[in-house]
Amino acid sequence: MCSQSSEQQSDNLVLPGERLGVIEEFIPDAGTYVKDGVIRSGVVGRSLHDSLNKRVSVVPLIHGAMLPKVESVILGQVSSVQTQNAIVRIFKIGKKQLSGVFTGILHISDVQPRYVESMFNVCKPADIIRAKVISEKNKTYHLFTKDKNLGVVYALCSQCGYSLESKRQSLYCPRCGRIEKRKTALDYGKDIT
Amino acid sequence: MSRKPEKLIDKKGLRLDGRKPDELRPIKIEAGALSNADGSAYIEQGKNKILAAVYGPKEVHPKHLALQDRMVIRCRYHMAPFSVQERKSPAPSRREIELSKVIRESLEPSIFLEYYPRTIIDVFIEVLQADGGTRCASITAASIALADAGIPMRDLVVACAAGKVDDTIVLDLMDTEDKMGTADVPLALMPNLKALTLLQMDGILTSKEFESAVNLALEGCKKIYTLQKEALRTKYVNMKEVEE
Repeated sequence: MCSQSSEQQSDNLVLPGERLGVIEEFIPDAGTYVKDGVIRSGVVGRSLHDSLNKRVSVVPLIHGAMLPKVESVILGQVSSVQTQNAIVRIFKIGKKQLSGVFTGILHISDVQPRYVESMFNVCKPADIIRAKVISEKNKTYHLFTKDKNLGVVYALCSQCGYSLESKRQSLYCPRCGRIEKRKTALDYGKDIT
Repeated sequence: MSRKPEKLIDKKGLRLDGRKPDELRPIKIEAGALSNADGSAYIEQGKNKILAAVYGPKEVHPKHLALQDRMVIRCRYHMAPFSVQERKSPAPSRREIELSKVIRESLEPSIFLEYYPRTIIDVFIEVLQADGGTRCASITAASIALADAGIPMRDLVVACAAGKVDDTIVLDLMDTEDKMGTADVPLALMPNLKALTLLQMDGILTSKEFESAVNLALEGCKKIYTLQKEALRTKYVNMKEVEE
């Protein structure tokens, strides 16, 4: 598992604050910090001393402290819809379930490549939506669904509350027969985790 | 509080529970004791039993609590109603509110708060059974819980108390010694950076006694730190892949 070549020395379990070297011998890289000229670990992880490039880094063992970042694919629930915008409560980043929620905003111009008349034809409150983060300026997460894999993955009928099924271009309610419009992801209804 | 012992230290120089003056209580630490929290720890120090859980970082609600340049830590130290001999009201007491603040302030310097602006971390400390020195044990456990949650930290924080009992400077006071003794000096330390994050004292000590109490507590901190490291090591040493 652990590749140990001549220029890379690794697999030392290090804890926060553990000394990794001094700035004269290594360039501090990810997972480390420098205090008084000493390089120390900033996380629980495995240290990686790269003596060829003179770098030292720590590969974290825990993927905690996750925040939405630009390009990360998120899963969220639509909490409110206006004509131009939808507010999404992000509860999952990649595969990581969050302990709280982050609020994201989906603007109508980021829904599809073509012109979209109204946000109400894109998603409705309580829908589960998959989207990508395109901006995190001022900690407002702007979302984006211009992709086949992005869009609504699970939706409920706005008339009777039954889960909608995908039927050709639109969504169909098997209980009351209502037909609704959404911007669905390619795998609508298949990946509910 | 059944009976008051006449002497806290006997003729042989041993304490009520048979410890030497510079001896710690037996300590057991477990990292990741709870599965629902992002990070957690459980500590037993003598008769103390304390759980610590960490959630976050997450979005701050209500929004006005958020800080634009750094993360907020919200800490709750709470004693369970069954943690002491007479039932303790579950409502946060004045003492618990103060300890929450003290613990928060002793953990704050160890965390890279500026990495996650406009977010919040919740630290919950639940004392299941108390027998003196809970603030120190809580800090030790909370610091492991933070590391277990994968939050970037400068160092772990480890805390220990020393005090004066029957004219002797002793390490790691238990409840009776704390109540009947002359003084108590709890302190928290970042062992690698050699920085104190908490130093309190109640009671009266001469400056010489104070110095030896601090030195004794620092020694205790170093011993607890090895146990703290051990707890995190046992959880993560066999882990090769990144935990999702």
